[in-house]
Amino acid sequence: MAFRALTDEEIAILEANGCVSSDWSLVSAADGFDARFVSNIEFRGTVQIGALGDKRGQDNSVARLKNAILCNVSIGDGCCIENVHGSIENARIGNAVRIKNIGEIVCKGSTGFGNGVAIEILNEGGGRELRITRDTGAQLAYLSVLYRHDTELMNRLDSMTDAYIKSLESDRVSIGNGTTIKNTKKIINTLIGDAAVIDGVSRLENGTVDSSPESPTHIENDVLAENFIIQKGASVLDGAMLQNCLVGEATRIGKQFSAENSALFANSEGFHSEICSVFAGPYTVTHHRSTLLIAGMFSFYNAGSGTNQSNHMYKLGPVHQGILERGCKTGSSSYLLWPCRVGAFTAIIGKHYANFDTSDLPFAYINEENGKSVIIPGMNFFTAGTLRDGIKWPNRDRRKNQDKLDFIIFDVLSPFTVQKVLNGIDILKDFSEKAEKSQEFVNHKGIRIKRLLLKTGRRYYQLIVDKYFGDVLMKRIEREDPNKIADIFRPSNEDTLEDEWIDVCGLLCTKSRIDSLVREVKSGDINDYDSLHAVFEKIYQVYEDDEWQWFLANYRKIHGTDLCDETPEAVKTLLTRWKDSSLKLLNMVLQDTGKEFEGTVAISYGIDGDAERDFTNVRGTFDANSFVNMVNKNMNKINSMYEELVSRI
Amino acid sequence: MSDTLKRVIDVTADLLKIDASAIREESRFVEDLGAESIQSIELVAAFEEEFDIEMDEDEALGVKTVGDAAEFINKVIAGE
Repeated sequence: MAFRALTDEEIAILEANGCVSSDWSLVSAADGFDARFVSNIEFRGTVQIGALGDKRGQDNSVARLKNAILCNVSIGDGCCIENVHGSIENARIGNAVRIKNIGEIVCKGSTGFGNGVAIEILNEGGGRELRITRDTGAQLAYLSVLYRHDTELMNRLDSMTDAYIKSLESDRVSIGNGTTIKNTKKIINTLIGDAAVIDGVSRLENGTVDSSPESPTHIENDVLAENFIIQKGASVLDGAMLQNCLVGEATRIGKQFSAENSALFANSEGFHSEICSVFAGPYTVTHHRSTLLIAGMFSFYNAGSGTNQSNHMYKLGPVHQGILERGCKTGSSSYLLWPCRVGAFTAIIGKHYANFDTSDLPFAYINEENGKSVIIPGMNFFTAGTLRDGIKWPNRDRRKNQDKLDFIIFDVLSPFTVQKVLNGIDILKDFSEKAEKSQEFVNHKGIRIKRLLLKTGRRYYQLIVDKYFGDVLMKRIEREDPNKIADIFRPSNEDTLEDEWIDVCGLLCTKSRIDSLVREVKSGDINDYDSLHAVFEKIYQVYEDDEWQWFLANYRKIHGTDLCDETPEAVKTLLTRWKDSSLKLLNMVLQDTGKEFEGTVAISYGIDGDAERDFTNVRGTFDANSFVNMVNKNMNKINSMYEELVSRI
Repeated sequence: MSDTLKRVIDVTADLLKIDASAIREESRFVEDLGAESIQSIELVAAFEEEFDIEMDEDEALGVKTVGDAAEFINKVIAGE
């Protein structure tokens, strides 16, 4: 934008309107400037002013400057700034910005606006510091926090972060186009993106609020934030307190939630509760006042009320950490003593003082029996809750921006979870063969398994494998030309076939893909955030192909022959097992759902009248329940898909 | 009382830690005997072990009473 000196006539109007400047030559204006819309402004240092007088911005108010001290500020076209009780200092203000009734917006010296702040994540005692930036996605954070075994990689990532921060450093804060800031006390060294809404905030200091018109960010009502990054589409509301935190894309924070040294990635939700040194992967949800999450890594996680965790054994300080793999839930008043590692999609009920590792026994229930931790492998796959979660997560992706930072594979069943299910089958089989009938329990990595349920768990896991293998096969057959089915059954990439799969904070991929990325970082082929992001994106895009190759490899491993060498009858058998296991799964889910409509669930209904009628009017009936109907439709769909696809083999 | 029913009652009493004499043919596992959902699964596993059979999980978990369980097990044994 080009600026010109003020004319004598404009200066006269400004002075008549109560404006002052010790040196009017430092005040300049752009085309469209109209001095009549400026009153009671004290100009200090260099001030540039854009067009005034038209109606713009989120509230469509008249663009004008009124009652403020402006010091070293450039103001875009169509801005309205009024009633600044302190001052705006060292700021670049975009077009159509609204700043009303605020205390101060200042930049004190050169700053990175929260970029580069090292947060003590996952381990409160330190050693895994994550340097947060505006472009820190969940996958970059995963490498930074968990790959401490690779010092060279850490050094390279640090250098990349240094370069990134340097490119952002400035002695001027920026306020993006179309942003509204009102009724806010202090904004210090904080960069604010386009179309953001900052309303009623107490203090923002040393931070970045990234925002865009397609994915605006809201910070409202008594929020206190210091040393922070808030990414696009997030909302931080109502008394939330953040210190040394990253709030990821479309994450929702509010209701006096407090967080320290933590990162919450895409679509997480934090209300009421407290988190400290938490690495909250995508879809981490904690809603309740009495919940404390500490020194843990989670994703697709739901913390029940009163969930509590300890990272301290009163010896060397708060140095312990825990991992709940994706999809876990902790029940009301549950407790975990770190260190622990809990397998994916596990429900944890009760208080647990043992340190256990159940990562090879996913889809489990962990409960407390006489003060001891007991696991029931596989049980949590057959609950209505897990099925509902798997459906709801992709539907609840609130991110509207195209340039998403976090790559998320939503699949509940994937090579990552099913490889663990296969491990679980081996573990349970081994125990079954060795356990004495007199034994009530067997012990696995710090937790008890009831001997009686070893066979049941194995059967559950086999159902999961049958269902998943069929799912993958069906997906592929549906996608491909029926005339080329024999070709697609042929493995294509020997290198990645039997690879281990990992969950890189929401992104499921083979370990070799990440190993290759790490090599490229260490060689310098990947040397900035953009190229690193591009590789994660590529890994995300090849997920289905890699999944298919993993399936083919495991088919060979289990059946001793390649799928491409199988007869059509064998493929049909595979599909039949898929149909049977899928229907059995849904039947068990229906059984589980049925418990919501029978027996003791009607207690407290019909307090002064007919209990059954009260229950039906409030909760509805099993047959009319939308989830039940959805499950029934799925069962019909499975039958018709099976008939259709078998005819194509 | 059939042999199957007696063994079902004994297994149930042992697993739910209640007196066998308090269990009737018409006793409901959840409402009358206080079986929790995890215990229902354990009961299925315990019946399988007791009778050396394999039961269809989704059907077995639909069984509500002790008598129905005995009947269900008899059908499985008979291969129906």
